[in-house]
This record gives sequence, structure tokens and C-alpha cells, in this order.
Amino acid sequence: MAMEIDPITFAVIKNGLDTIVDDMAYTVMRTARSPIVRDVLDYSATICDAQGRILAQAKTVALHLGAVPDAMAVVLDEYGDDLEPGDVIILNDPYAGGMHLPDIFMFKPIFHGDAVQGFAVVIAHHSDVGGRVPGSNASDSTEIFQEGLRIPPLKLYAAGQADRSLFALLRTNVRLPDMLIGDLQAQLATCNVGERAFVNLLEKHGGETLHHYFDALLDYGERLTRQAIRAWPNGRYCFTDYIDDDGFERGPIPIVCAIDVQDDHLEVDFEGSSPQVKGAINCTLSYTKSSTYLGIRCALGREVPNNAGVYRCITVTAAEGTILNPRMPAAVAARALTGYRVVDAVLGALAEIAPDRVMAAGEGGNTVVCFGGYEGDSQIPFILVDMINGAWGGRASKDGIEGVTNPSQNMSNMPVETLEARYPIRIEEYALRQDSCGPGEYRGGLGLVRQYRLLADEAVLQLRADRVKIPPYGLFGGGRAAPSRNILDPDGRAEALPGKLTRTLHGGDVIRHEQAGGGGYGDPLHRDPDAVGQDVADEKISRTFAAANFGVILLPDGFQPDRAATAACRQRLRLARI
Amino acid sequence: METGVGARIGVDIGGTFTDLVLSDGLGRTWFHKHASTPAQPERAVLTGIVDILQRADLRPDDLVEVLHGTTVGSNTLLQQNGARTGLITTKGFRDVLEIGRVRTPDMFDLQWNKPAPLVPRRLRREVTERIAADGSVVTPLDEDELCAVGADLMAAGVESIAICFINSFRNPDHERRADALLRQRLPGLAITASVNVLAEMREYERTSTAVVNAYVLPILQSYLQRLSDGLLAIGVHAPLLVGDSNGGLAAARTAQEKPVFFISSGRSAGVVGAARLGRVAGEEDIVVFDMGGTTASASLVQGGEISRANEYEFRAGISTPARFIKAGGYMMRVPTVDVAEVGSGGGSIAWIDDGGLLHVGPVSAGADPGPACYGLGGERATVSDANVVLGYLPGDLAGGGLHLDIDKARMVIERDLARPMNLSLEAAAFGVREVANANMARAIRAVSVERGIDPRDFTLAAFGGSGPVHACDLARSLDITRVMLPMMPGVFTALGMLTGDVERHFLTAMPGPLNDLNTAALEVAVTALRGQAEAALREENFTTEQMSYAFSLELRFEGQDSELPILLPDALDQVSLSWLRQQFLATYEAIYQYAADDAVEVVNLRLLARGARPGKLDFRDVSIADTDTPLRVAGGRKVYFGRGHGWLQTAVLDRRAFSGAAVGPMILESADSTVVVPPEGRVRGDGLGNLLIELTGETE
Repeated sequence: MAMEIDPITFAVIKNGLDTIVDDMAYTVMRTARSPIVRDVLDYSATICDAQGRILAQAKTVALHLGAVPDAMAVVLDEYGDDLEPGDVIILNDPYAGGMHLPDIFMFKPIFHGDAVQGFAVVIAHHSDVGGRVPGSNASDSTEIFQEGLRIPPLKLYAAGQADRSLFALLRTNVRLPDMLIGDLQAQLATCNVGERAFVNLLEKHGGETLHHYFDALLDYGERLTRQAIRAWPNGRYCFTDYIDDDGFERGPIPIVCAIDVQDDHLEVDFEGSSPQVKGAINCTLSYTKSSTYLGIRCALGREVPNNAGVYRCITVTAAEGTILNPRMPAAVAARALTGYRVVDAVLGALAEIAPDRVMAAGEGGNTVVCFGGYEGDSQIPFILVDMINGAWGGRASKDGIEGVTNPSQNMSNMPVETLEARYPIRIEEYALRQDSCGPGEYRGGLGLVRQYRLLADEAVLQLRADRVKIPPYGLFGGGRAAPSRNILDPDGRAEALPGKLTRTLHGGDVIRHEQAGGGGYGDPLHRDPDAVGQDVADEKISRTFAAANFGVILLPDGFQPDRAATAACRQRLRLARI
Repeated sequence: METGVGARIGVDIGGTFTDLVLSDGLGRTWFHKHASTPAQPERAVLTGIVDILQRADLRPDDLVEVLHGTTVGSNTLLQQNGARTGLITTKGFRDVLEIGRVRTPDMFDLQWNKPAPLVPRRLRREVTERIAADGSVVTPLDEDELCAVGADLMAAGVESIAICFINSFRNPDHERRADALLRQRLPGLAITASVNVLAEMREYERTSTAVVNAYVLPILQSYLQRLSDGLLAIGVHAPLLVGDSNGGLAAARTAQEKPVFFISSGRSAGVVGAARLGRVAGEEDIVVFDMGGTTASASLVQGGEISRANEYEFRAGISTPARFIKAGGYMMRVPTVDVAEVGSGGGSIAWIDDGGLLHVGPVSAGADPGPACYGLGGERATVSDANVVLGYLPGDLAGGGLHLDIDKARMVIERDLARPMNLSLEAAAFGVREVANANMARAIRAVSVERGIDPRDFTLAAFGGSGPVHACDLARSLDITRVMLPMMPGVFTALGMLTGDVERHFLTAMPGPLNDLNTAALEVAVTALRGQAEAALREENFTTEQMSYAFSLELRFEGQDSELPILLPDALDQVSLSWLRQQFLATYEAIYQYAADDAVEVVNLRLLARGARPGKLDFRDVSIADTDTPLRVAGGRKVYFGRGHGWLQTAVLDRRAFSGAAVGPMILESADSTVVVPPEGRVRGDGLGNLLIELTGETE
């Protein structure tokens, strides 16, 4: 029975849902305890309908979005006929709906009348969930059992009553119990805010009407998506990108993406990608799907809503036993890295399909820097989880952005002053990294530098970087960006460290991360020489870099291009290519 | 501030018009709209003042105050034509300004443009110095290097310099020393030390606030100087007070020193006016709604108090009400009236996306070419066109200044909206109104629901040229049942200027667990801040009796990043730790529906000091002394009130001729706006010049 859809009510309900998830996201930020959630904003907030289909998601971590459907399916499977008002369910097990252990999902069924009408869903990255390494995020674990406490879908609250056993179990197994509980409370407050607003919407429009409009909303997402895909040329488009290594084997680890455009549908296949690996960068299928949706979503256009209708137009396949669909008990803590590379591979394949919608590769995903130890005479435990973001690659008509979140996330950074006030660490530099951009007609963004000095006597450093061996790619003649580097004691022994490492540091040790920039887009010899001069004036690139990569020679006493010398230099560089 | 009697002028500069309101201190009020002169904004102000004085038959000497809301600060940011500015930072941190908080305002948009920093990298320099997180000195300030860097920047042509060192909020010595040295070595340059505008943690927010200050300072300084000189030249010797972003007033000199506090100067005055009007009219809980040509904004007055925020971002474009975004704008952490703004105004363009969804705004037809119905070349359907088609707006605006072309409006709505959506003309036009209302409701929700406040218990006070046209529908969509439409809604912001107090803000950091707070230490801090405030107000000639102080302690759960201000009672001896904790928990629970039993920590002690201006307008005895335009003849026309009512024959009156009470549908027209009273809406005058509309029953 089709109910008539009134375009005005439709718009009003859509805005209403967007406002609910806005409210939710704001609540997390205001109430959370850990810097990783409240400053870095590693969380997401979603409203689903009674069937678990995503209706709206806040402008928070984008990559969480695509993982919600699988998690919802697990919850409905387990508790579909066993839900009461006041129930709150949590999970984090990657092999039962989760992504990696630090991300705890929380679901609150929303009742109106006797029936479940929808779910408020909040995912937050917790600072520690136990396991081998502080932060529960290490890339050098080799099985899930080392990575921390696994939580299958369990009721944290049943009919409003807290499960004391579960709370006790959580507290006992993590390094910073107060912080974990504080952040769970922030998630709960957020579910409550979402519930209150959703019930208001139900009361205003009536459940039945509302659900018809939800269907229409998903159809609308699907319609816009199919329209965009239909404009793309049919055919099969392939791209391979690489992860340096898993910290154990030499690498590189290929991620092979093939996009098959079939009229208004996309088949995305990752055949040929690496088998699952020993290190903790295996990526569950739900996260692989999420990353794929995200890459495609970026090429669709901004108007497409964040809802489940979009996924109806995309099929994702990754064989079991591969890095993109691992078998238990593969370790997955640092799976975000693989997700970033899936996005890079998908965007690479899309470059041929929609060249004006994509960008060259960005920094390759945030670098995670984790310090864990004990501080002062009373040996109070501390765990810093810091994330370094980032740079975008060059685009079809403009340069890449620098000092920006990876588009897979929408994270923020931890203020230096907040960090120093809370941890025995001093930040010695936080800056743009000269000459780290990939050259192009439109250059990539510069990577960032962040340098840490340990002030405590001892700490365990766990660092996850990539793009150390295989730098971000350029597109359509644009060059690769500079690779990432990790350096111990840069002003002393200047020891080059691998991309992924866990090691003990001592008081006074200095760790410097130099992040890869973004790749270039288009032939760098076509770049406007004045733009090159401006970059040199800003010390974003050096004169040497300008000459070697862009063929631009500046007048010695300023930043104006020397036209004749530039023409000659460019000619030389062109000849050298042949 | 000795005299209470005398005439006062409120001036608000807008994009199209400079609005002036003159009160003679005896209850008579004149208003005047003068075309703005963007190149030299003071010209419109000065000619406007001469004109309005003439009309009121007053002399320049009769004026005791000129109260001014200016968009010079916001326009400088918007048009990026501020001073050439340099920035000096701690070694290793010159890029903090450009890196920002690394978020993007939209997801999935790879074509986003990050706004360029106000100071380019080549003008951002570093010096050797370092303060640790506990305030101790790690590396002393290299003064020679500082002077060399300053001289270098000067040689590069900067007119203004901001200084921001890491952890200066904990120990300002290095910044203060650098400030003094640069002032001494580089006379003539404007210097802003970050701790002088914001002594708070978080380097990006503090740097950005200092940079905005430095960037705007020379511009606002010279504008206010020209205005002051111009006032003297036309014989006005009264002091000039400028409205700040927080809705307070301050001597022009303060605005010249700390312009970052004055960026949203005008917008906030309307809220202050509405709050004061509410107090007189017995309305303590008000949703303030201001709708102009390109944007609409919403703000909240609760229990007579204006809702405020401690930071905001200025964007080129539209501020969305989603409050957790830190991207795409120029961050200022300064006290401000908490205003949410959306891109819906009379000129907002309606359009249909590829998926068939109707949108309104944020693109606006502006004043030029304007809505299609203006007949000035506008070819796209706007909100005003929809209002004309539906009969809300008259064929010609009162006063006969502008003829509205109904046929043209019908044509564009039929062509661009009705036909593609397969709707009737009036359904499409009504849809535009409803979508615009939904957008504006979002702004209202951002300042109410998002704070855990239910707007249904509030009165909607609407002004701005388009406010009274939409107010009742908007109220109904939010289940608000009372609407208040002040007199002179079109120039209400200028009127609001006349109602403000002088305000100064002071803050001292008191970081530490609440349990360790020593009430004696709190008392010492309170006394110290009060001393500073008193000195500042005394300098502006306030007497002790005119001064008042509101202290609040900012508290949060240990480990959180966002504080809640807890107002301290006047008598500090009532303040105990358990009282503070209880107040905090109650406030917290009201917003988030839970409160933990965790430790609470103190962040700052904040002081808002007020100097009560004698003779400020209180709306009790105001009458418009305007006899220029003849009364409109009462009449009627058909107006479309939604699917339920359809087209209704509706009485149309001149607002000045309306008295007593009536039941809608009805339209009341005046020179500056049109009031729409929907069917069953009961409208009456309140004796203070306001119209009050009671809405009952659900209609569309």
C-alpha cells in the first residue's frame, strides 16, 4: 500500500532527522572524558529505523557509517525479539559486528507504544580496552586475543537496570576504568538525547506516516545514487594501491580494486588483494564495505544523504581469508590503515570514471602515536592516543588541502596545550612539512610534522604510520608525495625508525613523525609559475624543489618567476622524460 | 554617566540600509532608513543623523549618547580586506593558525576549499622561547631574535602584529615582554598579545582570536576615528558607544583596542532589545527571531537572561547551527550572544535537486537583482516571490516605494517549481514557505532544543523586514503559541541599541579539582576581578551605584573539555563546595539527562561587569512620532493559508490604524514590514506598541 509522499513533509522529516544526529554528536563532544573522543572526535552518531537501516548520520567519523548495518544485523539477530524499553546494548567484537576492539558500539532501541520504532547508535573510540599494549591499538599483535577485551552483543542495561556484572568485568579488564566508564556514560547520554528527539518526531507525525517517509528517504538516497552512476561509462576499472607492510613481513601488501559499472549499479571486487596477514591490519568485511561505500560516496556529490539507500546500488566482494575479510583469530586493531588504503584504491579506480570528482592520494590515513606508562611518584597510569592528520591530494581544478582530516574520518586534533597539561610529554613542533607535497599542475597538500619529547621516566611507544615505503600516488601525470618518516632523537643520533613499531622510551627521548603529503594532480610542468613562486615565498616548497619538480626558476631577489629560465628548464625536463 | 535625560540615537548599519532610531528622552521616537554607503560607512551614519535630527526638530547638542552597531568588523572579515598582519609564535608553532582543528564542514566533499588563514605563512615568524604546561620557563625569550623578527615583519609591510606563545595562558611573562618590546621598537604598529584578548588554554583558539583582533584592529580603529571626528564636525559632542558581540556596549576606545569583541556588533543588539522589551511586556522566555533579506537568525532569552556562548566561528557564507563543527571559519573565542544563523531570508532562492527534493537557499538573490517580483532583473523564484503569490505581501510596499510584480512571481514559481514537482501554483509557493520555515526552525532548535530547552513554553518575538511575515507559521511548526511583534520591526536592531548596558568581561583561570577549592582563595580572586572591573567602569564615568557584577564559576567533570557556568550568589559566604557541586549536577542533568558521581573540576572564574546606563529606552513610553506617510485605506485580498484553509478573503489594515483585538486571517501593513495573522490567530495590541498573537489549534 503506497502512501502518497508529500514533498514538503518529506523535507521537514529529513531536516528533522539531520537535526537529531547533530544534537547527538554535540552531546558526545560536550560530555566525553577522553581526549581521543572529546578533542579528536573519534566517534559517530546514527539513527536507524526499526529494521536497523541507517536514516541519518552526524558529520562525525565517516568510516563508521558503513559498519553500522552489519552491527545492527548482529544485534537484531541476537535480541530482535528480546528488546524492552530502557535496554542498552554494547558490542566491540570485530567477529560479531564490531570493527576493532577500542570502538565500542552502543545501541538503544527507541520505543513508542509497544513496538521498537528505531535505534539510537553511538560508536566511540575508547582510550584502552586492555590487552597487550596500552591503547589496545597496536599493529604488531598477531591474534585478536592479544588486543583486549572482546565484548559480544550484551545488554549493558536491561529495562533501565545496569548490569553490574558487565560493568565490573569492563572495569577490571582495562587500564583506565574511570575514563572508559565516563565515555560510556557520554554514549548513553547521547542515546538518550537521540531517543528523546526521535520520540518527538514520532509523536508529531505518527509512527505509520513516519515509516512511510523513512522508506521514501532511503528511496531518495538510492535514486540520487543511481542517477549519478548512470552518468558514468559502463565498464571495468581497476587500480592497485599498497600498504608498506604489516610490521612483520617485508611487504608491500597489495589492495586490488576493480569497479564494474553496470548501468546504475556498481560491482566492486577486491580479487587479487593480499591474503590475511600476521600483523593487526586485517580489516573485517564490514569495514571493507564501509570504506568502499565511502570512496564511492565522495564521487557522488554532496546532496546524496547519508543513508542506507546508497548501499543498495553497490555490491562489494572480498574473498574470505584475505586481508579484507579475515578469518578468526586474525588481529585487526590497526584495521583503520587498511580501510584508508581501500578508499585510496577505490578513488584510484574512480579516477578514470569521474576524474573531476576525485583527488590524488592523501597522506594515507592518520598516523597513530600512542604513549603508555606511569607518571610521577605515585605512578599514575597514563595513555595518550594521538592522531596526526593530514593532507589531501591535488584535485582536478585546485591544490590539495593541508592541515586537514582524512576524508574517511572527520576528526580533529588534540591541542598541544591540552596534551601537555594532561600527559608527561612536551610537543616541540607541530608544523607543515616543507617539500612533502606531490608535484602536479595542482599540487598535493603538505604533510604535517609532530615532535614529542617524553618527560616521564619511561613509557611504551606504539606508533603506526604507513606510506613510508610506498608514498601517496599522483594522478594524470602528477607526482608522488614525499614518504612518511619516523625519527628517534632527530637532533642527536637521528635514528630512522620503521613505520610501525612498539618500543620502550626513556625520559628525554624525542620522537619525530614527518607525515607524507598528498599526491599531485596533472603535469607539474603545467603549473602556474606564479603559484610556484607563492609557495616558495611561503616556504611551503624550496627553490630547489620548485626547479626540480615544476621546472620553475625564480628571480634571485624575490619570488617572481624568471620566465625565460623557466621555459628553458621546463623544456629540459620534458626532454628528459622521453 | 551622570545624566539620564536627553536625546539618544541608535544606529545600525546593514547591508542595504543604515537604520537610525532617535529617542528624545521624553517618549517620542523617530525612525529613519538611509541607504548604506559601504565604502565609507560613516557617511550614511552622519547624513542619517543630520536628517533624523532635522525631522525631530532637535539640535546636535540635544544628543547625550550615540549608540552604534557596526558591521565594519564582520565585513572586514567577509571581504578579507583587513590590515596586513604578521604573527609571532613559539618556535615550532607558526603553522598552528593554518592547521587549525583539521575538520571539514561537510563529509564526502572532496572539492571543499579550506579558507586561507588571515596571516599567510610568509608573515608568520617564530622566536626562541618556551613555557611549560605548569607555567615554568623551559627556554627564556630570545629578545634579540624577537626584535629582529619584528623589524623583519615591519620591513615586509605589516601594519599589525599578533603574538601567541604556547602556554602563555599559564604564564604570560614572555608574551607581555614581547608586547612591550615590540611597542617600544616598532611605534605605529598595532600589537595584539594573545593573553590580552584571551587568557585561555588551547593554542589554536587563542592564536586565531588574537589574529582576528590584529587583522581588524587598524580598520575598526580608523573607522571609529573617522566617525568620531565626523560627529564632532556636525556638532555632536555626545559620547559614542559601540555594541559588542555579546550585546553589551562599550566606549569607542575599547572597541578600538579589542575589536575582536565587536565583530557581530549589530546582530546582538536586536537580542538585547528583545530581552528588554520582554521584561517590560512581562515576557521572560523568548525565542528571538530576526529575518532579513538573506539570512535569518535565532537566539534565546530565558528567565529574562540572554543565552550566550563563549566562542564562535565567523564564516564566509552561512553559519550552520551544527555547533560542533570547527572548520571553514575564523575562530573567535569571545563572549557572544548565542545566535544561530541560517541562509533563509526573503531573497533566498528556491530550487529542486536532482533527486526531486525542494531546497530554499542558501543562495540569495540579495537586494540586486532581488526577488523576481521586484522586477529588477531577478529571474529565480525566492521566498518573497512565494509570499507575493500567496497574497501575504501587498502588490506595492507601503509608502509606495516599490511595486511588486505578482505576475512575474507567479511565472517563475510555476516554471521553476510547480511544473517540475507536478504541484499546483499555490502548493508549490506554500511549499517554499514551509521549507524556508523548516530551515529557520532548525536555527531555533539549535539554540533551544540543543540546549535541552523546550521552545514550546516560549514566546516568539519576531522582527527584521521579513520576520513578521513568517512568525506565526514558524511558531506553529514549533508548537509555540504566543507571538510578539514589536513596533518598528524593520529597524528594531537600531532600537535595541538604545536599550543596552555597558558591559566588560573579565576572566581568571582557576584550574583544579573542585574539592580542593579554597573559598578564601575564591573570595580573593573575586575581589581582584571586581577591582579590575570597577576601575574599568569608573574610567567610563559610572558611579558605584550604577555598577553590577555577575560572577560565574566554570565547572566540568574531571577529564571533560566543555564547561558549564555556575552563577555565584552575591553573598559569597553562601557558597560552599557542596552547593557548587549540587548546582553543577542539576544543570548538567537538565541538559544531558544523567549526572555522574565523578570528581568535578574548576576551570575559570568569569566576571560580567555592567554599568547601567541611565535613561536607556525601556519601551514603557514609546510612540512613533512619524506623520510623514498617510494612512492606508483598509481593504482586503485573497490569501492562501495552506491546504486546510485554501484561499481566504482576508482583511488588510494599516498597522497604525489597528487597535483593540481581532481574529485572523488578517494582514497588517506598515512602512517597514508586513504582519500576517493566520486564521484563528487572535491578535491584539498590548499598549506598548507590540502586537501579540495567540495561536491555538493545529492548522497547516
